[in-house]
Amino acid sequence: MQSKRLGIVSLLACSLTLLVGSLNAVTADAQAPTFTVGWSVYAGWNPYFYMQKSGILKKWADKYGIAIKVQRFDYAASLDSFVAKNIDACAMTNMEALDMPAAAGVDSTAIIVGDYSNGNDAVLVRDNLTFQTLPGKPIMLVQKTVSEYLLERGMVLNGQQSQLGKLHLINTSDADIVAAFLNNRSNQAVVTWKPLVSQIVADKSVHSIFDSSKIPGEILDLMVVRTEVLNTPNGQKFAKALTAAWYETIQQVAAGQSNALKYSAAASGDSVESYKEQLRTTALFASPKSAVDFADGTDVQKKMDLVRQFCFTHGLLGQGIHSVDDVAIAYPNGTVQGNKARVRLRFNSAYMQAAEQGKL
Amino acid sequence: MTNLSPFDIQARPNRLLAQALSAVLFVVCIGLYMQTSIARHRENPEDRVVPSGHQLLAGVRSAVLEPAEEDDYIAPDNASTWERLRHSMIWKDTASSGKRFFISLGLLIPFVVLAVHIGLFPWFGAGFLRFFLFFDKIVALSLLPILFIAFGIDEWSKIALIVIGVAPTMILDVTQMVKAVPQEQIVKAFTLDANNFDVAYRVVFRQVMPQVINSLRLNLKPMMLFLFAGEMIAASDGLAYRIAIMRRHMGMDVILPYVLWVALLLFLIDFSLRTINRRLHPWFQA
Repeated sequence: MQSKRLGIVSLLACSLTLLVGSLNAVTADAQAPTFTVGWSVYAGWNPYFYMQKSGILKKWADKYGIAIKVQRFDYAASLDSFVAKNIDACAMTNMEALDMPAAAGVDSTAIIVGDYSNGNDAVLVRDNLTFQTLPGKPIMLVQKTVSEYLLERGMVLNGQQSQLGKLHLINTSDADIVAAFLNNRSNQAVVTWKPLVSQIVADKSVHSIFDSSKIPGEILDLMVVRTEVLNTPNGQKFAKALTAAWYETIQQVAAGQSNALKYSAAASGDSVESYKEQLRTTALFASPKSAVDFADGTDVQKKMDLVRQFCFTHGLLGQGIHSVDDVAIAYPNGTVQGNKARVRLRFNSAYMQAAEQGKL
Repeated sequence: MTNLSPFDIQARPNRLLAQALSAVLFVVCIGLYMQTSIARHRENPEDRVVPSGHQLLAGVRSAVLEPAEEDDYIAPDNASTWERLRHSMIWKDTASSGKRFFISLGLLIPFVVLAVHIGLFPWFGAGFLRFFLFFDKIVALSLLPILFIAFGIDEWSKIALIVIGVAPTMILDVTQMVKAVPQEQIVKAFTLDANNFDVAYRVVFRQVMPQVINSLRLNLKPMMLFLFAGEMIAASDGLAYRIAIMRRHMGMDVILPYVLWVALLLFLIDFSLRTINRRLHPWFQA
């Protein structure tokens, strides 16, 4: 008898929760359509934090009659959420845009080309190692990320392509890479990004032999929206509001407005000084015109080709992909890199263009 | 007529029914997985988050028959399946993780012996017990930077992480077992002219041994957890290393088989420990 009563109570509780849940969903539907943007800590993305805190985003969202939520994630988790379609837009690099959503069949569109790494990523060594002497030495890095890409590009640009297979890589979590590298003098090489780079080079025995300023425009930081969201009328409003808010925000950051810098630095727990130092090695496309020029040019295609070849040779496009052309990329001028029937990643400069012309 | 009431302690389902009942939850899980997978693939045929059976099969094949990406080995065209298996990704990862696992398992033995002493010899108890009581509450993972200094980033820091994580718990557990041995037995052994070490090793150790093995069986999973944590933080091979790498591009088609493989390995180790225990200590009932 007792157990039966317990069962009924829990059944009631369950149905009550369900009921409340569905009521919530109904009331949410009645309000403005809501979109969620995910971002993670990085010099070029921290302004999203300021964009939200300052009310700039809300201002633009209200103008278009929608609601935009901004959520901070760990980088890997933000990508997982984007691929799982829990969020509508996400800040990511060109490489991850290709090997995470695009390769997993989630058609994605880059609507904002925010910046490129211009020294934020670096190959650091001890004992005067060079690219000639690097093969065979243990190299700590987060494998299968832009770090590994940077290392390979460094090897290639220094004429060591044939030695690529001899690199001895140790996959190291970014949470522990500084401690793990600095604590033991027998660790000779590490590839990582700022602000970790700054923490490591504070040790005078370590110096940089290669950084992303030698491969400008190859490590891009994008705002990527799911194409199916972009293809709805509300989705287009969302993209417009987001782009407009972004350029208002980033121009304040680029102009050195104190609140903009303070909040952006606080987003990653950095001091304003440290954040400014990171910005110096981040090539911001602060004006929509510069971003449009870059996205519409042919240079971006050459750089993306290097990235997609890297992704393919490292199996980052997945087991089932047997040709690099099976994850095709479409550019604003209509060019398609790869199989036209399998476009998965699109660069769309229309929203940035509208921002340039003041039509948002 | 079988009694079908689930809330009756006396009721006993017949063999067939019992088998069927224990299969139910497995079937439900597989069914839910398949349903999710099919639903997601209907929406996006290339979905990698919940791979289909077909994708899983391809993942298993590449894990079992193809060499790891970082290896230079290229299988000759006429290589036998065995040859391919021996150079495969999963073989390599299992071997390196297995080595770390069994070395740490071996390193636990001296700690068990120490625990017998702590439980039995008051001087040892005074010296060690409080320390291990304190050390047991330390979260080993938070000591990583120190472990890196002391053991480097190679094999030893991972092994140390496992041992530091599991040994204090084992020690406290074994100490309790030793203390539970009736005092009368120890006194009796002394009256029969046993010396101190006879009592420690031939009376007490022998009789707690089956419990020690059971305690070890319970600690297999924490050991694997610590091993995984270590391999995910810094490694260039191993089962968790592969899972970490595959996660970078959502290679769930390889991750899921790996997870099941680890589960199977743990089950087999557990099963063999149980069998050994039963063979060696047929008198032990638990």
